[in-house]
Amino acid sequence: MEKILITGIAGPIGRLLATRLASSTDVCGVDVEPWRGANIGVRVHRVDLRKRRFEDVMRTERPDAVVHMGFMRRFQSSERMRHDVNVRGTKQLLDQCVKYGVGRLVVVSSSAVYGAFAENPYGIDEEFPLSASRTYPEIRDQVEVDTLAGAFIWQHPEISTAVLRPVHALGPTARSMMSSYLRLPRVPTVMGFDPIVQFIAEEDLVDAIVLTLRHRLRGIFNVVGSGQAPLHTAIAAVGAIAWPIPGPLFELIGRRLFERGIWGYPPGAIDYLRYPVCVSGRRFVEATGHVPKVSLREMFRSLRRRTK
Amino acid sequence: MSPLADSLLTTIGDLAGALRPLWVRRLQDQINSRVDRVPTLLNEFGFDDYGLSPEWLKRIMLPSALLYRHYFRVEAIDIGRVPTGRVLLIANHAGQLPFDGMMLAAAMLLEAEPPRVARAMAEYWVSELPFVSVAAARSGALVGTPRNCVSCLEAGECVMVFPEGVRGMNKLFRDRYRLQRFGLGFMRLALETRTPIVPVSIVGSEEQQPGLANLTRTAHLLGMPALPITPTFPLLGPIGLLPLPVKYRIYFGEPLLFEGDSSEDDAQIEEKVDVVKAAIVAGFERGLEERGGIFSD
Repeated sequence: MEKILITGIAGPIGRLLATRLASSTDVCGVDVEPWRGANIGVRVHRVDLRKRRFEDVMRTERPDAVVHMGFMRRFQSSERMRHDVNVRGTKQLLDQCVKYGVGRLVVVSSSAVYGAFAENPYGIDEEFPLSASRTYPEIRDQVEVDTLAGAFIWQHPEISTAVLRPVHALGPTARSMMSSYLRLPRVPTVMGFDPIVQFIAEEDLVDAIVLTLRHRLRGIFNVVGSGQAPLHTAIAAVGAIAWPIPGPLFELIGRRLFERGIWGYPPGAIDYLRYPVCVSGRRFVEATGHVPKVSLREMFRSLRRRTK
Repeated sequence: MSPLADSLLTTIGDLAGALRPLWVRRLQDQINSRVDRVPTLLNEFGFDDYGLSPEWLKRIMLPSALLYRHYFRVEAIDIGRVPTGRVLLIANHAGQLPFDGMMLAAAMLLEAEPPRVARAMAEYWVSELPFVSVAAARSGALVGTPRNCVSCLEAGECVMVFPEGVRGMNKLFRDRYRLQRFGLGFMRLALETRTPIVPVSIVGSEEQQPGLANLTRTAHLLGMPALPITPTFPLLGPIGLLPLPVKYRIYFGEPLLFEGDSSEDDAQIEEKVDVVKAAIVAGFERGLEERGGIFSD
């Protein structure tokens, strides 16, 4: 039986993916967080990718394929810490994959790495420069991870490496920045701006990862879901109330609150509420025939708080 | 917004709607039925891939249509020459504020058969302006990057381009009906996507707000694209930039389909661009001869 190792297995998407794969493959995973109630047969190792013990896991498990999504995405911890966990952790993982003869590697990055800019065209393709850190230094680590993995594709042709750049994942369990943002009771937006935002359902993202493994994809792929909508339309469809704040005021307050740890979104993230980052998922669809199943409305419904 | 404020606003909106004179309501009905006939691919929330919303477009078009019918009294001549499917409208640009773009778009929606949304290729700073950016996107404008233009044309859209850019918009009165240097990008895109070009000559806009001088350097120091001096601007403040009630005549030329390689040298591209410029100038000559006066038929 084929063996797949998932980093970040205790995260929402990791759990869904492990559960999906468990029936047909031997699934193991690593995470610093525990996963209580994991399926029987799914082995969860609580280790840090940067530590020696991770190599022990690789040596004993000897996976055929690795799905890498063990990233620290929250901004509560220091930037140095996040950078170290994400970038050095990825580097360690890539080295281990070479050393222990992993055949396939999927790195789950994000379409946020392109950056939100006024001059962004629609249908950004995979060759578009990754400029996010120009205005959003807080996700520099994500850009570096993507770049490291992208270079790895060519450095190690013996490993089928795919870098996925999915759009914002939404779903009942997803904890992406965008889904937590849309779950706020009052959603602050930038007054006078209403960019188009693309969404993918967590189930569809899991499907996309499974397809990537099955097709032994090599290369970089944007992954889109069933649709896109202007931000305010999305907020209304989730059943939340938008709270438009003039841009300069938003930046000022946002920065203060972020520095005090009250507000989880760094100042650089505000541009994603102003300008669109709309990618083209054509390459991935042509390679895999991926068809998203969950409609935009269902995605929004899944975020809706239970009404009293 | 609270439900109370929401319903209050709706009531005010309805009241304002009911108080509109009959001819305004008729114009709105006409806009609505024309917008409904534009074939656009909409998602379940009523937006196309680039953020265009027919419902918004209907509302945004009303002021534009009022200007079209009653202020500039636009005549669209030979608009039937615009082919169906992908097409580039290449027009002259003048008048300090882009009313020429508004009127060309209004002509395509109100007079073309079937009605079409002329996509504007906006300067990227338009997307940085609050409210303006949303209005632009909802009415079909895109940031003017080559990639956006190509994807629009490949989708069979009608794209309007003013290759003179700000050089044209802020040209001086003494340079009216003299085309400024054309950007070459549109021709490369036309060759790449094999798109027919319709040369458009807008007669009238060149006199709507006569530029006496353009303080380019001061403008750049202030971070503005241009700082025109006109008889009324900056004398009367921003109001001074509003156009005079000139009569607009928009001449559509025969479609031109160019053959060639999009990566040709500038010199070869320029030869083709000169053909388009000549066609626009021919339209000027016809228009200036046919019109009675700047403000009259």
